[in-house]
Amino acid sequence: MKTATNLSDLFTKLNDLKHVFKYGEMLIPIIQNIIDFMRETVPLLENINNSITDTAAKIPKAANQIQKVTSATEVATTEILDVVDELTNDVFTVMSLLENITKAEAEREKIFTELKPYLDKVPLELLNKFESFFMKDNNPEKIQSIFANMNDKIYRITLSLQVQDITAQQLAAVNHLIESVQERLTSLLSHFENANIKEPTALNIEVTGTVSFDPNARYEDRQEEQNSADILVNEHFVSASQDEIDKLFAI
Amino acid sequence: MSLKFLIVDDSVTMRRIVINSLKNLGYLEFVEANDGKEALDKLLADDNINFVITDWNMPVVSGLELTKSIRSNEKVGKIPILMVTTRGIKEDILEALQAKVNNYIIKPFTPNILKEKIDQILAAA
Repeated sequence: MKTATNLSDLFTKLNDLKHVFKYGEMLIPIIQNIIDFMRETVPLLENINNSITDTAAKIPKAANQIQKVTSATEVATTEILDVVDELTNDVFTVMSLLENITKAEAEREKIFTELKPYLDKVPLELLNKFESFFMKDNNPEKIQSIFANMNDKIYRITLSLQVQDITAQQLAAVNHLIESVQERLTSLLSHFENANIKEPTALNIEVTGTVSFDPNARYEDRQEEQNSADILVNEHFVSASQDEIDKLFAI
Repeated sequence: MSLKFLIVDDSVTMRRIVINSLKNLGYLEFVEANDGKEALDKLLADDNINFVITDWNMPVVSGLELTKSIRSNEKVGKIPILMVTTRGIKEDILEALQAKVNNYIIKPFTPNILKEKIDQILAAA
């Protein structure tokens, strides 16, 4: 009886083993497919790794180029402002001279009027011709007005140069984004074995991220926002005044 | 009233623009600072400075932090402060007002706005 049971167990186990071998036969092709897939994929992953490494290496250069743009525009803007300063000084000088000339003319006309009675031997035609050369028809005022307008236009040029500050902030925001991408790529690459990531300092390229910026800075008409700001400011100071009044009454 | 301005901005261009604007209004005395820390040092060292015009976004110490530092300083706490910044959202403006700036200009500013805000501040003083 015991022998029969042992035999039965043996046949059961042999049957199980047979199933295992059958499974093995089924699994082998699948495993082979997986191996083939890995074999094809690994070179692809290596390509991706190399590509990411190359791109990460270029990022500091891109950031550096952007910083150079900001520096170049700052230099150019400074040069423009230098010329604007010179123009403004020239305009003020001319206006001052014009004022002096106007005063001198008025004085000359006055003296001529006083002289006229003593000039009875001078032909009238000549006297009239001489008088006609005094500045009349508000010419001095017109000229001063033109120079005043010039000054306003020069000032508007100055204000337009605010674009340099605003674009510098926009570029700084881009740089910040680039640096964030680089950090992320570096983090990803660190998971690959033997990743050869060059740190920005190793490339001797300065990556600046120290300039503070407003990522929402933009060069456009912001009068509506200014109006809203003015309302907030006025409301703030009105309510602050009201608080002080209330405090007084509370005492 | 003779005003000596402290102009605080990390942009050389913006400092010149503000100074040119003030010269256009007839003001003649200016001190410049590149960030809030340098500004506070200069403010405490010069008793003649009586008006501060500051940007917000700056390295080291921002314009907002500068404002708070000025207001908490007994010697210079009452000095008028005008914030000139690209930040235009309501929360920022309220935050600046809570820090006790006297007025607020959004960049890029228009020709008359600087005079308008300075006059408002002086009138309220």
